[in-house]
Amino acid sequence: MFKLDRKLIIIGMTLALSSTLAVAAAAECIPGVYKSKPGAIDGGVIYPRKDGVYTAYRYNTQSTKGVWFGRTPTANEIKAWDTDVLPDGTGLPEGEGSVEEGDELYEAQCAVCHGEFGGGGKGYPQLAGGNQDKDENGIVKTLKNQRLEPGMDAPKRTIGTYWPKATTLFSYIRDAMPYAHPKSLTNDQVYAITAYLLAQNDVEIDGQEMDDDFVLNKDKLVKVVLANANGFYPDIDGPKGPDNVKAFFADRAKNIGAGIRCMKDCKDPGMDGKTEAKVMKIKYEMKDVVPPYAYAKDLPPETEGGSVSKAEKQYDTSCKLCHGTDTMGAPKVGDATAWAAVMKKGMDKVLVNAIKGIGGMPPKGGNTDLSDADIKSIVEFMVGASK
Amino acid sequence: MNREQEEKLTSASRRDFFKKTASVSAVAATGIMVPSTVLADDPNIIHHVKWGTTLGYECNKYPYGMPSPYEHNVVRRTSALMSSAGDMHAAISMTPIAELEGIIVPNGLHFTRTHNGVAQVDPTKWRLMIHGLVEKPIVLTLEQLKRYPNESRILFLECPSNSAAEWKGPQFGTAQFVKGMMSCAEWTGVRLKTILDELGLKPEAKWMLAEGSDGSEMSRTLPVEKVLDDVMIVYAQNGEALRNEQGYPVRLMAPGWEANLCVKWLKRLEFGDKPWYAKEETSKYTALTASGKAIQHFYALETNSIITSPAPERDWKDLEKGDLVEIEGLAWSGYGTIKGVDISFDGGKNWVEAQLKGLVLPKAWTRFSYMYKYEGKPLLLQSRSYDDSGNVQPTVNQEKAVVGVECVYHRNAMITWAVSDMGEVSNVQIRS
Ligand code: HEC
Ligand code: HEC
Repeated sequence: MFKLDRKLIIIGMTLALSSTLAVAAAAECIPGVYKSKPGAIDGGVIYPRKDGVYTAYRYNTQSTKGVWFGRTPTANEIKAWDTDVLPDGTGLPEGEGSVEEGDELYEAQCAVCHGEFGGGGKGYPQLAGGNQDKDENGIVKTLKNQRLEPGMDAPKRTIGTYWPKATTLFSYIRDAMPYAHPKSLTNDQVYAITAYLLAQNDVEIDGQEMDDDFVLNKDKLVKVVLANANGFYPDIDGPKGPDNVKAFFADRAKNIGAGIRCMKDCKDPGMDGKTEAKVMKIKYEMKDVVPPYAYAKDLPPETEGGSVSKAEKQYDTSCKLCHGTDTMGAPKVGDATAWAAVMKKGMDKVLVNAIKGIGGMPPKGGNTDLSDADIKSIVEFMVGASK
Repeated sequence: MNREQEEKLTSASRRDFFKKTASVSAVAATGIMVPSTVLADDPNIIHHVKWGTTLGYECNKYPYGMPSPYEHNVVRRTSALMSSAGDMHAAISMTPIAELEGIIVPNGLHFTRTHNGVAQVDPTKWRLMIHGLVEKPIVLTLEQLKRYPNESRILFLECPSNSAAEWKGPQFGTAQFVKGMMSCAEWTGVRLKTILDELGLKPEAKWMLAEGSDGSEMSRTLPVEKVLDDVMIVYAQNGEALRNEQGYPVRLMAPGWEANLCVKWLKRLEFGDKPWYAKEETSKYTALTASGKAIQHFYALETNSIITSPAPERDWKDLEKGDLVEIEGLAWSGYGTIKGVDISFDGGKNWVEAQLKGLVLPKAWTRFSYMYKYEGKPLLLQSRSYDDSGNVQPTVNQEKAVVGVECVYHRNAMITWAVSDMGEVSNVQIRS
């Protein structure tokens, strides 16, 4: 009796053991159930690369040690490309510019898109304005705005209210603006425009207001503390930065929210229990879809008029950005009156202006690869299309 | 069938049409009693079709093949709303997700986001520099980069502002605009670690700056830990060179992470001990929560899903009561691999398990499927995905309760399609 029992127990044990093995083996065969462990810096899982297998992929396990193509960059090459700027000022170039100089440059090169004084209103990003008042916890109050009902105010995300670092402004303007011909400003000009935009955002440096003759340089720029400098989390600075990020995303349920897998008679866990959930429909149907919605399986309509000229293509890529609308102060292609006024000067003069630049019009529209002859045929196309 | 008839067919019930023609033609043609189950003869079967009686075009007429002209409506779409001031140089175009099959998006339909227009890089002049806190900095030409051993991965790319317009309520009338700021492709390139092993990363290196060569010099900071795990430098997309819109000739690929971090037209990688605070990781791509503070360095795209059939542009108007029909959709997670998807017909009160089908890969689109008996009753159709990192897709209200409605980025609340008793499908939200 006793013996038999024991035997049974042993059989039972082996059975239990083999079934866990079976589960483990199954886990490896079920597509999408790959061995993984939590702990990726983004809060996700990490998959091992082992014995030539990485999830569903195989990879070459032979040594890649010693694989080396390419060459060592020269000191000048690194200098030419390593121009990025860190918040502590590393990488900021020599140079200076005043608020007043910045004002002029901004009016001439930026206001067409970003509005007078950086105030926006033209559909492009607004660069200045917005209330910077803070609450008792040092948080910019208006950033707590939530548009839960129609008509409520949006949080305003400008340099003054939202940006954490002023060095970002310097490097972004230098690298990416003005939009149609980036990297065309000198370092002095970038300091001047940066000074102007900081002044428009009521920034003080060392307790000093930035009036018209305030001159900005690299030493002063690193001293700028923007209103929302502490408005971001997790803390990425210092040697613990990456660990902070990992800890933050490891606790996703608390920090960014997570769903629950309920299957029957579920109550929306996001509801407060007082208000009823409603089915909210689209209030306004977006109309200007390009190309318009269409689903027919038919032949496309015949294209009229044949091929597009070289001049028109060049116009599209180099000039249309400003000349396609009348919001930028450029004579709009298609506007007969505007072009008649331009052409009163005579074609020769107009061509010189287009080649050398005039007012908000950069030389050759910012595309110096175009030859003078190209410009001539493009202008002829523009005039022709505006009769 | 001419075009007019074809259009009528797509608008009316296809089956009704055949039934009507059946009775009319049966009576007209023969006058003999025909059982009502017999349908009219389809002229496309009875008569020779045009393409069967003519010589087709030469085999290599199009050395680079294009889709059938009949598919000309399956295209990326955009709108002034997806841009700055209607300026299409800083804009987004959306993939027609409901009209695609499987998990690979054809290259010409891959969604596109640009900050300073689409750069057109001359591959012979393109260079990549890797420097900073490495023992041996390097500069590579494209040919040299391609000499390194490569790997291929099927990965989704998603703009973190996918659905950004939907935080305050439903906005868009099609799946293309609701979730089309994403695509999935097979990417080929060099695992960055393979190159770094030879360069010798210094132990102080904590962050990597990735910088583009386009007019906006788009740049972002990534933690080295991710770089050494699965980041790639890719030059091919579904077997051919990257398209200009995807960063030709080379872009960074950080699997599962914001497409914006996968810097296009890549030019430079610098290793450092501090983060850079580029414009696209401060002013933009930070998620402002209701507390007034914003989440920065928000990397992985959320666990997410959308039903693509039915969808507003792929409705059920031709179904009849009793039809057994497949509900199909896409699920994806930047945190890992999709484990499953549930479907609700009553706006989230009760759920059934869908099945996954096809390849199930980490950080890639995953197809799900459910066979449903159509009853012609109104439905509130939802899908909810979960992954192997423990993430479950939240409801609109759950997400709102934690982060508010001004986040812009990383939205993954469930999408609800209202299906009417006529089989029309529209985008709605269930929220307090
Ligand atoms: C042709 C229109 C245009 C002109 C002219 C222009 N910009 Fe911009 N600017 C833009 C667009 C578009 C963006 C957004 C780019 C993007 O999507 O990343 C932008 C973004 C910016 C930003 C970042 C805004 C934010 O909140 O993130 C700053 C700062 C800026 N521009 C400064 C300037 C300055 C300074 C000038 C003049 C030297 C200038 N811009 C000229 C169109 C323009
Ligand atoms: C960055 C915006 C911008 C771009 C790009 C641009 N233009 Fe202009 N253009 C202007 C503005 C602004 C004016 C009006 C200047 C004024 O009268 O002060 C102008 C004026 C002109 C004029 C009239 C000159 C005159 O004498 O009144 C011509 C011709 C012209 N542009 C041609 C071109 C061509 C050709 C291109 C492309 C190769 C081009 N533009 C690209 C902004 C632009």
